[in-house]
Amino acid sequence: MKCAFCGKEIDEKQVGQSERCGQCPGGCRKVHCPQCGYANPVVPNFLKRFIKSEDDHKE
Amino acid sequence: MVIYRETDCKFLAEAGREHLYFTAVRQDEHEILPNRQCQLTSVEILNTPKKVPMSQPLAIAPKRKIFLVGNPNVGKSVLFNALTGAYTTVSNYPGTSVEISRGEASIAGTTYEVLDTPGMYGLQPMTEEERVSQRILLQEEAFAVIHVIDARNLERMLPMTVQLIEAGLPLILVVNIIDEAERMGIAIDVELLQQRLTIPVIAAATAHKRGLDEIRTAISTFAGGRQPAYAYAPDLERDILRLAVQLHGDYRVDRRALALLFLLRDEETTALVQRIEGESAAAIAETAREIIFSYRSDLHLRLSMERKRICSDLLAGVVSTSPRQGRTWGERLSAMTMNPWTGVPILLAVLYFGLYQFVGIFGAGTIVGLLEGDLFSDIINPWFISTADQFIPWLWLHELLVGEYGILTLAVRYAVALVMPIVGTFFVAFSILEDSGYFPRLAMLVDRIFKAIGLNGRAVIPMVLGFGCDTMATMVTRTLETTRERVIATVLLALAIPCSAQLGVILALLSGVPGALLIWTVVMSLIFLLVGFLTARLLPGERPMFYMEIPPLRLPQWRNVVVKTLTRMQWYFFEIFPLFILASIVLWAGKMTGALESLVRFLAPGMTLLGLPKDVAAVFVFGFFRRDFGAAGLFDMNEQGLLTPVQLTVAAVTLTLFVPCVAQFLMMKKERGWKTALIIFAAVTATAFSVGWLLNIALLSLGWLA
Repeated sequence: MKCAFCGKEIDEKQVGQSERCGQCPGGCRKVHCPQCGYANPVVPNFLKRFIKSEDDHKE
Repeated sequence: MVIYRETDCKFLAEAGREHLYFTAVRQDEHEILPNRQCQLTSVEILNTPKKVPMSQPLAIAPKRKIFLVGNPNVGKSVLFNALTGAYTTVSNYPGTSVEISRGEASIAGTTYEVLDTPGMYGLQPMTEEERVSQRILLQEEAFAVIHVIDARNLERMLPMTVQLIEAGLPLILVVNIIDEAERMGIAIDVELLQQRLTIPVIAAATAHKRGLDEIRTAISTFAGGRQPAYAYAPDLERDILRLAVQLHGDYRVDRRALALLFLLRDEETTALVQRIEGESAAAIAETAREIIFSYRSDLHLRLSMERKRICSDLLAGVVSTSPRQGRTWGERLSAMTMNPWTGVPILLAVLYFGLYQFVGIFGAGTIVGLLEGDLFSDIINPWFISTADQFIPWLWLHELLVGEYGILTLAVRYAVALVMPIVGTFFVAFSILEDSGYFPRLAMLVDRIFKAIGLNGRAVIPMVLGFGCDTMATMVTRTLETTRERVIATVLLALAIPCSAQLGVILALLSGVPGALLIWTVVMSLIFLLVGFLTARLLPGERPMFYMEIPPLRLPQWRNVVVKTLTRMQWYFFEIFPLFILASIVLWAGKMTGALESLVRFLAPGMTLLGLPKDVAAVFVFGFFRRDFGAAGLFDMNEQGLLTPVQLTVAAVTLTLFVPCVAQFLMMKKERGWKTALIIFAAVTATAFSVGWLLNIALLSLGWLA
């Protein structure tokens, strides 16, 4: 996913537990960008297919 | 390929064969070290620093490795697949969970091993993936490193090329996605860029197989070799050299590049230097500490600016945009959002239309009116109550479900009819701004103002997030550079940043009283600036610089906005619903046991001082559970006609400033420790009630809102 603040790519699997505040019931639904710290919402799977693919050249 | 050990080479050097000496050590030596530069220019034989004893004069070279590197989404993997075909393997990089793709490419009769490294933005890693890429580049031997960059954004990507050249890596540059760049009217003089960089540069559109033959040819004819690093300002060069000459170990990359990474406190480099230099590492660290200390301003910023200057020189005349394209409308608007003269009016317009009109009037007014007034108050709640009257004879259960603080009549109504429409409209506005790329521009705009209160533009991130949830925003303050900034930001979040639901309810409440919203806005802004200013004066410390790369401004994609809004609403609903029910149960228990009444009585003198009815104390108790719950309580009281305009304004200001909710307080304790958290709690409470008291006196004596 791409950070909505700084625009840099984030691998949500790589974001560790330490970057989560742990206050939300039912677990964290945020991915904190390792570059800028911005909290990006984790899009549920059923909504992911609606997100427009921005670049055909993506890896 | 014959490779000599350094000691053997020294022997040869003494025998008058200096070129071999410099050939063998050139991977490790800094090019601008005294007395050696002239020798290095003539070196071109070896491209591996691996050394074997002279007793093994001939060694068969291992399979040549090619590393593909570059930012994410520049087409590395497309190139990897094109070069390697179907024969690839994916495995975790040793000791990590990061996957690396490896494959073989047969080019002009030679087989190469190709590694597709994870995306990276520079040689200094921020993430686990970047760390793996850095480790591959700095510690493994490459025949060629192919840096893939996006032709549409050369200026942003070339600094990494400069870093790779600086590290002494054998580099081939692929300017990818050239077709898109051409469509955008961007023309790139690849020949000129190649002349300036003195490395092979190939224009490509790998997704459409353009440039692949040229890349293969470049690999098969690649001579390797290292290019001279670009010079920074003399003072920087002096300091880098001062550290580089202390590095005596056997490194695979240039010592100058290592020295730079060491100065930037790169963890991998620090560990590598400590491991290789052994006892000397302490002296090296001390030199680095002195150098870093001498740069009062941020060394990262300084280097970034230097690299930007180098790249601007390199790109002069290389990139041209067709006159038809010129400066796009988006670029002009982007510049306007960051210019104080135009940026502030744009910000005010965003706040007026986005927050006031859309969230306050439409969300908290129209939609809440329909849901709360027409649906819940007139239909759903009466039905709940009449059903409970018929079937639930037990008072405690009746009260728990449909009483004053009942789960159905209070918690569900607050969550569904009051808070959801407000946070829903807020998240729509927020997602539009987020998807357009406005927030980083806001950070640049307010950087100057924030500096006066001991922060910088980076603090916009927790402040903006605070409008969503102050608890999470308090955690995000850890991304600020200094403890001083973190404390100031924590104070301001606890005091003056209302969360979305609280803000929406307050906008809806006050917009019905002419002048009240203006007073609330002025008071909140003044308190924000004044408290920030005073805290910054009370807390000594560094004032770091702020800089960031600004992503492009764009029209928000409606699908992204919808998905982000729904995602946030789902998150918010999952979070608030159980908490609202819990708060309702606690308040019910308080009512049934009389504890709530005692608490309200205890707070009643404070309410009297503020000129408020004593029942407003319950709203402050609600607010400590959750800010939005408190705001909803105030909304309820106003609906019942229990507050005058002055009381409403005073209550809204005091409640906004009032102590953070339980979750935020716990987060403050976690991030800042008990002592700081308690001091902030006490200071915020005192400030809230003092301001409320003063505001009540001022409004009554001036006769405003009477």
